[in-house]
Amino acid sequence: MIESAAGVNPQSTAAAALAPCKLQVRDLHFYYNGFHALKGIDMDIPEKKVTAIIGPSGCGKSTLLRIFNRIYAIYPKLEAKGAITLDGENILDPGYSMNRLRSKVGMVFQKPVPFPMTIFENVAYGIRHHEKLSRTDMDIRVEQALRSAALWDEVKDKLKQNALGLSGGQQQRLCIARAIALRPEVLLLDEPTSALDPIATGRIEQLVEELKNEYTIVIVTHNMQQAARCSDLTAFMYLGELIEFDQTEKIFTKPSKKQTEDYITGRFG
Amino acid sequence: MSNALYLRRRVANMVALCMSMLATLIGLTFLAWILWETLHQGIGALNLKLFTKITAYGEDGGLANAMIGSLIINFIGIAIATPIGVMAGTWLAEYANRTKLGESIRFLNDILLSAPSIVLGLFVYTIIVLPSTAITHGSTTFSGLAGGVALALIALPVIVRTTDEMLRLVPSTLREAALSLGVPQWKLTVQILIRAARSGLITGVLLALARISGETAPLLFTAFGNNYTTFNPMDKMSSLPQMIYQYANDPGEAMHSIAWAGAFVITMFVLLLSLASRLVLSRNKVSHD
Amino acid sequence: MQADQGANALAIAQEQRALKDANHDLLFSWLLKACALLVLACLLGAAGATLWGGRHAFGAFGWHFLGSDAWDPGNDIYGALVPVYGTIATSLIALLIAVPVSFGIALYLSEVAPPWLRTPVASAIELLAGIPSIIYGMWGLFVFAPFFADHIKPWLTDHLGNPPPVQVPWGDGVIPFTPWAVEHVSVIGPVAHLLHKLTWAFGQLFTSDSPFGASILTAGIVLAVMIIPFISSVMREVFQTVPTRLKESAYALGSSTWEVSWDIVLPYTRSAVVGGVFLGLGRALGETMAVTFVLGNAMSLSPSLLDPGASIASTIANQFSEAAGLQKSSLMALAFLLFVVTFFVLLIARLMLRRLALKEGR
Repeated sequence: MIESAAGVNPQSTAAAALAPCKLQVRDLHFYYNGFHALKGIDMDIPEKKVTAIIGPSGCGKSTLLRIFNRIYAIYPKLEAKGAITLDGENILDPGYSMNRLRSKVGMVFQKPVPFPMTIFENVAYGIRHHEKLSRTDMDIRVEQALRSAALWDEVKDKLKQNALGLSGGQQQRLCIARAIALRPEVLLLDEPTSALDPIATGRIEQLVEELKNEYTIVIVTHNMQQAARCSDLTAFMYLGELIEFDQTEKIFTKPSKKQTEDYITGRFG
Repeated sequence: MSNALYLRRRVANMVALCMSMLATLIGLTFLAWILWETLHQGIGALNLKLFTKITAYGEDGGLANAMIGSLIINFIGIAIATPIGVMAGTWLAEYANRTKLGESIRFLNDILLSAPSIVLGLFVYTIIVLPSTAITHGSTTFSGLAGGVALALIALPVIVRTTDEMLRLVPSTLREAALSLGVPQWKLTVQILIRAARSGLITGVLLALARISGETAPLLFTAFGNNYTTFNPMDKMSSLPQMIYQYANDPGEAMHSIAWAGAFVITMFVLLLSLASRLVLSRNKVSHD
Repeated sequence: MQADQGANALAIAQEQRALKDANHDLLFSWLLKACALLVLACLLGAAGATLWGGRHAFGAFGWHFLGSDAWDPGNDIYGALVPVYGTIATSLIALLIAVPVSFGIALYLSEVAPPWLRTPVASAIELLAGIPSIIYGMWGLFVFAPFFADHIKPWLTDHLGNPPPVQVPWGDGVIPFTPWAVEHVSVIGPVAHLLHKLTWAFGQLFTSDSPFGASILTAGIVLAVMIIPFISSVMREVFQTVPTRLKESAYALGSSTWEVSWDIVLPYTRSAVVGGVFLGLGRALGETMAVTFVLGNAMSLSPSLLDPGASIASTIANQFSEAAGLQKSSLMALAFLLFVVTFFVLLIARLMLRRLALKEGR
């Protein structure tokens, strides 16, 4: 706690040494109705790796994720201070185009939220907003996205059916397909499996493994095993502060902070 | 000692519960009585003439022109109230939720919901019937259009309220998901939220239609009435409730039975609409979870 | 190099689209806001239009308009007292009957009835709340008013009404006395005299020569039947907001159903119950069709509830089409009064209902 209070947390950069940095978080504070929810986060998220954020509920892990694409901005009285640089540009700068940010940073939410449209339209909807494509190009693009999300084989015969008819796990993969259809560079996953059964969860985790070759993935999870299974780096947050950020293996075998160890071993949280 | 206390409490409980049962019985009896009379008297008076002949024939006539008039006036009312009501409700739910102006309009809308319809009729009389009389030097006075506008004022708060409520039921994750794709707010609203709440909005429109199709008071001095069939909304127009009102006040027995038949038709129409709106809503609930 | 240019072009296109989106968003929100403001315009317009229409009446009669019971188209003199009294009397009678009955129904449906019965009965009552008021009016006119005239009215006049009075000199004048009072007139003291006057006044409420079923009481009863489904639906909904844990903890202490309802449910929902009652009152005050048929439309003030009367809405419905000049203006003025009164009644209703919603944290 004390270590992270001043300046750049040395380990946060150390962890990122294994790949070029994609998202650089510097001295990030977040206020929510005056409540200080994030207190000076520094973090370097490496490119094309899976970074997991863990911590007890209310620690600010989802809040942090929701700042990466500024989705928080749709609610009043929320305020972020500090800097998050994506490819050298500060995305918290009010001049940074929301359209651009959201085509670069995709997000998948806790519960599957298919739009009330057909399966095809769900994927095409977002693309159409950013690019004008011909019918055949669109078909190809949708197919690609559904294939990448490992959903194509299950839905290829019912693309015209309502997406609400899919199972929960399929809906969540559809949401992933919808997000990657925009060809983002960063993919944010906010507890993507918390509403799913173990089998569907397994498929999503497998999918994350495949996607990391192309995307920088940040995943928030309350499930430590999940973080251990599918992430390269793990960040542990507690009470709005980043306690420890390191290679997943290290975090789960010999964490350097007492708090991290307590949490990992289940002594609190 | 405590036995006496227990006994007293048990007796009090029994008495209260019996009273509540009695109240329910009394209430239901009266309501059943009304429904039964409407069915009994109405079905007895039903015949083909009702739907084929116009009111100009009096005792030998039917209510054909009134039914056509009702359909036209209701249609005008719904056609005006639906877009305005849906848009206003959307504003309340999506743009002004928790703002002061939004809260006050939501509040005032609830008041408009139960405002006396006869006063709304007089309002429309003042803003439409009087000016059109003045402009056309009396050739246009009362009109089906004015009646439709009066009914629109009654339907409007119903639609505003259901739209507002239904949109607020749409989970905020759906908004976040769309915005995270970079979709602008208006597209999100029109293409996703309205679609997600569609069956709720249909329910609102059906309820509004049920509400206005029995309204009589505001039509008396807007659409006025007409013994002949007309399809021209600028013309005086009769409507089913207004004809019932007129016939019920008539001394002739034959007129009364026509009025009962009309009452039966309206009641069935309204009950079916209410049932339909429930069905739409419950089907939606099933498909969502 | 080329890829860079492509990315640049994409970025520019994105900027342009962002600008366009912002414009559209703004236009869209203005359009929606304009529609929402129409709701406000309707309320203000209705108040304004009736006030404007009634300006001649208010101008001609001033405050006297409110206190005068005259309604004389022949001499063009109008006062609001008769219809105002009729409106208030019928609505109060309706509430007096409807509130306890509705409370009983709501209680039965939320606490007492076996669960399998609750939903069907509640839905049936809600459906009935949607039946157009003209149906209630017709039932009142053709079924209930004759029934009332044949069975209820005679009983009321016989048992509660005053017998034909005997004129007895008293003090400086002559006052009407019941035969009972005449018999005991020698021993009557000041207190007994006052008591007698009160019972006499009460008896006057149920004394009537009119042979018809149409009366203020009939209209009140029909109104009550009309608002019972409405009030009981609101009350039932309100009762259901009481947290189960609250009720369960009371039951766990050994409370009976009635005690839970009276000591837990009612206090928890008190403001909303009052709100529901006021909502019903708002309905009753402004109701036209259910009342017009059974009120008799007599523009005179009578102490008896069994005599015909008039309400604001029924007066307007009956006279507006044929009225002109000052009479029309007076009717508009009546509509203005009605609108203002119902507005405040409904305002109170909504404020009371909102208190419960706030408690729930919505």
